[in-house]
Amino acid sequence: MWRFLGTRIAMGAFTIWITTILVTLLIHAVPGDPVQIMYAQSQGTTPEQIEEVRRSLGLDRPIPVQYVMYMERLLQGDLGATIRGGQPVLEVILQRLPNTLLLAIAAMFIAIVIGVPIGFLAAYREGTLTDIALMIVAIAGISMPHFWLGLMLLFIFALELGWLPVSGNGWLNLVLPALTLGLSNAAIFARLTRSSMIDVMSQDYVQTAFAKGLPKALVLRRHVLRAGLLPVVTMMGLQFAFMMGGAIVVENIFSWNGVGRMAVEAIFQRDYPIIQGFILTFSVVVVCVAIGIDALYAVLDPRIRRS
Amino acid sequence: MSALTHQDGPRAAPGFLRRLLSSPSGAIGLAIVLLLIFCALFAEMLAPYNPSKMGAGGRFLPPGGKHLLGTDEFGRDMFSRILFGSRITLLIGAVAVGISLTIGMAVGMIAAFRRGWVEAILMRSTDVLFSFTETLIALSFVAVLGPSLQNAVIAVGVAGIPFYARTCYAAALVETSKPYFEASISAGAGPARLVLVHLLPNVLPTMIVVATLGVSTAILAAAGLSFLGLGAQPPTSEWGYMLAGSRDYINRAPWLMTIPGIAIAVTVLGFNLLGDGLRTSLDPVERK
Repeated sequence: MWRFLGTRIAMGAFTIWITTILVTLLIHAVPGDPVQIMYAQSQGTTPEQIEEVRRSLGLDRPIPVQYVMYMERLLQGDLGATIRGGQPVLEVILQRLPNTLLLAIAAMFIAIVIGVPIGFLAAYREGTLTDIALMIVAIAGISMPHFWLGLMLLFIFALELGWLPVSGNGWLNLVLPALTLGLSNAAIFARLTRSSMIDVMSQDYVQTAFAKGLPKALVLRRHVLRAGLLPVVTMMGLQFAFMMGGAIVVENIFSWNGVGRMAVEAIFQRDYPIIQGFILTFSVVVVCVAIGIDALYAVLDPRIRRS
Repeated sequence: MSALTHQDGPRAAPGFLRRLLSSPSGAIGLAIVLLLIFCALFAEMLAPYNPSKMGAGGRFLPPGGKHLLGTDEFGRDMFSRILFGSRITLLIGAVAVGISLTIGMAVGMIAAFRRGWVEAILMRSTDVLFSFTETLIALSFVAVLGPSLQNAVIAVGVAGIPFYARTCYAAALVETSKPYFEASISAGAGPARLVLVHLLPNVLPTMIVVATLGVSTAILAAAGLSFLGLGAQPPTSEWGYMLAGSRDYINRAPWLMTIPGIAIAVTVLGFNLLGDGLRTSLDPVERK
């Protein structure tokens, strides 16, 4: 089990290391002069000032030197300063990251609480009208763009019925964004749970358990549910990454003050230090969550736990 | 999945179509996709108005009457804009999936065929890119290239490569370990023959299913970017962009929001259903 986790942690560290390289190269991939582009929107910047910025960002040095400089600063927790306002990027990100994580976790909770029981029910009633109806709902859910679902929920619950606030950052404000992100992912969980449960139910040991006359509820709980939920747990890591990505759009609909909204603003303003910091933070979060899920999986699956 | 073998080649085609049409999801999906292609091809003839002509009959006209789906904030006919939008949407899906599919398949097949260090480098870098997630790759690309529809499509296409490469690699690996493959190596088949005659046709069924489902993912992703303002720019009648514009008139003209959303959802649903149908009719295991 420790070997399994060790490999995962090493892979994760490698991914983050590659990200730091890509993030350094990113600014050089910009067509044209990045410093000119960054300052194109602010009037009255003199060529001297532009040279000054170029030096302070280290852009006048060879790329490998720049990378070493970037890493030195990074290891001291310095992600640079924003172009507009000159705030420390790390501070700007850490202010908003909890909001994004909160949104993603709430959405994950909604997705699992709705998706897994639906999938289980569909598998249990496989081939019946219930199953078909549930799966039609699921595929419709997967096909619905979450930004549209968000707009519709906003229209119905905030504007027409006035039950919930349109935007802001309180607890009530979390309901609609989390629902938007959670519902579209619930459909994915429902489909996955269904196919996994059906797979487990056709296994010999489950058939044996039924055949020897164990009560249906007992077989389902003890044999089917435990084994059938393993792929769902694996899927959670990947889904969390999807949700972090989906949060970018959803945060913009509901003006939720998270890192996704910050990133989109930064792209419009060409604030590259923020974009670099965002990409790095995003991959660190996704990698850490993936390792956490792998650890959970290792504990749950006896085949790995005892290896 | 890749157990579709040689005997099942082109001669099985009519049977395949019958199987596809006999599954409800395949038939509905195919109908939706064909309808979309029809709209995209004949948008000029089907559209009652010029989609970018402003003030054709007043602003914010509700659906019904002379304007089937109403008019927008500039008095443009929504029905005509949606029709022309189908052309853009299908093109986005085709180009983005084309990028992911060609590069992804090349990487996957080369990795499975060459093995050794080539395989190690290709597949480990694919793993790293895969863990970045498609959204982050697409967003980084747009951040570097700047917001435009063309860049959004490239970004979505590139972002899909790791997934296609992985799937193709897995399918190709199964083929290379089969007796017939080893037999043709012993018989002296060259790399070109092995890849083009043996590997390619056998990974193709899997990849067709993946690509069909991938069109929906690509359309959703590109519409999402346009919705954020990072993709299509005005006055394009791209559906995601139209949705973004509707936010300002959400109370006054809710149809501006509902119609493009339904258009995207139906399109994505069509490709999802078709993909599901293709999977069951191409996969001999599920076919039973």
